[in-house]
Amino acid sequence: MIRVIAFRLLQFPLVLAVIYLTTFMLVWVVPGSPFGRTERKLDPIAEQAMKERFHADSWKSFLAYYPIQVITKGDFGRSMQYQEWSVADIIKVSLPVSVTLGIFALTIGTIFGVMIGTLAAVNRGGLFDWLSLTIALIGISIPSFVIAALLLATFTGRLGLFPIGGWGGFREMVLPALALSLAPLAYIARLTRVSMLDVLGSDFVRTARAKGLSRFTVIWKHCLRNACLPVLSYLGPAAAATFVGSFVVETVFSIPGLGQHFVNSVKNRDQTLILGTVMIYSVFLLTFNLLVDIAYSFIDPRIDITAKASS
Amino acid sequence: MLRLLSIPLALLLLLAVAVIWSGGGAEEPRADFSFISRTDVNTLDIGQMSYLADMRVAYAIWEGLYAMHPETLDPVPGVASSHEVNPEKTVYTFHLRPEARWSNGDPVTAHDFVFAWRRILQSPGEYTYLHYYINNAETYCMRYARREPVDFKTVGLVATDPNTLRVTLANPVTFFLDLMAFPPFFPLHEKSMRSFAHVGQDGRVLYDQQFTRPPSLVTNGPFMLTRWEFKRRLRLEANPHYWDIANVKSRSIDMAIVEDPLTMLRRYEFGKVDWLADIPSEIGSELMGMNRPDMHNFPGFATLFITLNCKPTLAGGRPNPMADFRIRQAMAMTIDKKTITHTILRMGEQPATNYIPPGVFAGYQSKPGLPYDIPAARRLLTDAGFPNGKNFPRLTVIFRADRPAVRDYVQNIVKQWNTNLGIEVALQTLEGKTLRTRVNARDFDIAPGDWTGDYNDPSTFTDKFRSNSENNDSAWINEQYDRLAHAAASESDPAKRFRLLEQAEQILNEQVPVIPLCHLTNSYLFRDNVKGINLNPRNMTIFKGVYVQRNP
Repeated sequence: MIRVIAFRLLQFPLVLAVIYLTTFMLVWVVPGSPFGRTERKLDPIAEQAMKERFHADSWKSFLAYYPIQVITKGDFGRSMQYQEWSVADIIKVSLPVSVTLGIFALTIGTIFGVMIGTLAAVNRGGLFDWLSLTIALIGISIPSFVIAALLLATFTGRLGLFPIGGWGGFREMVLPALALSLAPLAYIARLTRVSMLDVLGSDFVRTARAKGLSRFTVIWKHCLRNACLPVLSYLGPAAAATFVGSFVVETVFSIPGLGQHFVNSVKNRDQTLILGTVMIYSVFLLTFNLLVDIAYSFIDPRIDITAKASS
Repeated sequence: MLRLLSIPLALLLLLAVAVIWSGGGAEEPRADFSFISRTDVNTLDIGQMSYLADMRVAYAIWEGLYAMHPETLDPVPGVASSHEVNPEKTVYTFHLRPEARWSNGDPVTAHDFVFAWRRILQSPGEYTYLHYYINNAETYCMRYARREPVDFKTVGLVATDPNTLRVTLANPVTFFLDLMAFPPFFPLHEKSMRSFAHVGQDGRVLYDQQFTRPPSLVTNGPFMLTRWEFKRRLRLEANPHYWDIANVKSRSIDMAIVEDPLTMLRRYEFGKVDWLADIPSEIGSELMGMNRPDMHNFPGFATLFITLNCKPTLAGGRPNPMADFRIRQAMAMTIDKKTITHTILRMGEQPATNYIPPGVFAGYQSKPGLPYDIPAARRLLTDAGFPNGKNFPRLTVIFRADRPAVRDYVQNIVKQWNTNLGIEVALQTLEGKTLRTRVNARDFDIAPGDWTGDYNDPSTFTDKFRSNSENNDSAWINEQYDRLAHAAASESDPAKRFRLLEQAEQILNEQVPVIPLCHLTNSYLFRDNVKGINLNPRNMTIFKGVYVQRNP
């Protein structure tokens, strides 16, 4: 087990290097310069001076400077759009915000998703099943900007239950977390329901019931654990995706998270920030996939993640 | 079973840790005056800034030799209490007031201006070209950039003593005092920036732009920046050392960044902020329709137009019919601009036939341009060899995909050209920066555009279409226009200059390298207990006099 983890960890730098270079290539060939900002064309002298300051006068000087900085100092350089802020600064202030919100949303999504999914599977064909499917359908099909705007319009202002966007304490987090959680919640509910139905029909469940175990015990102890596996595999990439923030929800609730930078840095051709955000996302994705694999064997000892490596 | 429960438990635990980590932090008391800006400040380095949001903050925390009068925007004494000009109007001697102080208490000296302006010539930005009015500044900047030996003594800028600054210009510049109130001409506090200086291998000093972040930043304006939370908010507090602190009406100002139109409107409606400084078009036209007393809409400093490429051949070697001015005139005369302003933009814009916004420059009088006249336009098209648009090559208009209003008026214009002239124009949407690249390279047929003036002189508009201008997107060349613009640049009599520029604008209006559509407006939302916000075309807010009258 430890060997496998070590092996996977050793792969990380290689995978990240490939991602870095690929992203860099894409960023470099895309038309548009990070330095021309307004309708006004930059004075060639000013443009050249800026390019030199950012080591971006040619792809060679970019590659000669930044990757070494990243490896030796973990420094992605200055943002080309917000020149007083380094990419590290930006990530440092915005990532905790996004991660907090993401964890909040994912917690709601997982707990309620699994609950709803289980109840739906147990009451298959009943009113609750129908209801949960409706919720799932709504959660998956309504885009988050609609949900976010609806939540904002309903629960803030006159009702005064929550502040109108912004970031600070727990009260600021509730609405955006709800808005963010709906999609994973719906997805998890459906996943749980389907795999639960699968498990409920299997032989060992019938045996357990025949032994005289209560319905609750069987579902809680025997079924849920098995039914959770697909949810778990979904949680890995879902965590990576929610932890880096959501452009839409952050914009509507005016939250200073990382999600907006994924979109805006591309719009601004902010090459250093694009690379920084992509690398953060990659690290998250790799880490969570590894964690999921480890968690698999933790929850279900039958799964042996060392199998592939040793065969 | 505990194993299964461990996942939600772990999540909850993580949540608790994260809440602490992301730290709400202690809330500061509400500022005396708070407003919402749609965009965050990009940079507070006065040598690099170009966005309105940046400038807005710069005017609050810095002060130039001259400042702007809050209503008329005319230059009023700032750090300088007076100045003298030689009869040729090329040498300005500024007398700095001895009581002017930086936010750390140091006196503001002439040296601080020399230091700041020299730095701009060494690390040029978007507005460095304004410094080229100073004698030899352009040569210095070019040579410095090419790493040739330079001598700053050749530049017409010298601090003769701590309170006297002498500026020598290459040519008389009638609006030079206005420029003194513009951020690229503000001073910098060298001592506080020293720890941000990097000396390169060639011995050149480069200042890290992080000097602008509090608490490092030392400024000399009515306010000082005490907090800058990236993409979130800025906090300004009155500068206790400011020489005119008695006239600073608010103790603190909060600028919050909210991008979403509905969220910003909601915050305003529920009294969380006093002023919405940028009203996005998504909500603007609707607010306009409501006739609210707190909606303030007023003429701006910008013109919306359609840029026509005037090169003899278009991309791919296609002959360009628009190289013929009669075609351009026909295209200009078949656009019903009222439809665009009244049914699409709906923000109180005035339809335009001329290029320069009216009423912005006192004493400047634009002549009207081409009228809306379909029969005359058809005759022009026939004269140019395309009766009823027959055999007219298919042109393409490129425009941004993410601006609904632009899409709507571009489609409307293309439809009008088709109905009125019988010509076909294809539509192509592009992403913002891609579009900018194509337009800069003049690799397009037709594109919507706009231009916002920078300083208080019509040349801020007319210079764009000089044939050697980088910003002449139309690639339009007119010798007479160039001659007039050139003559105006060295004319020291303001009235004569305006006549020259009026003539130049008239050529532009008749030759239509760009078809003016309308003059844009600005809008603000603020209630009548907010005092001191002035509705000036240039969208400049002088925060010194802004305050909220609160009921005790």
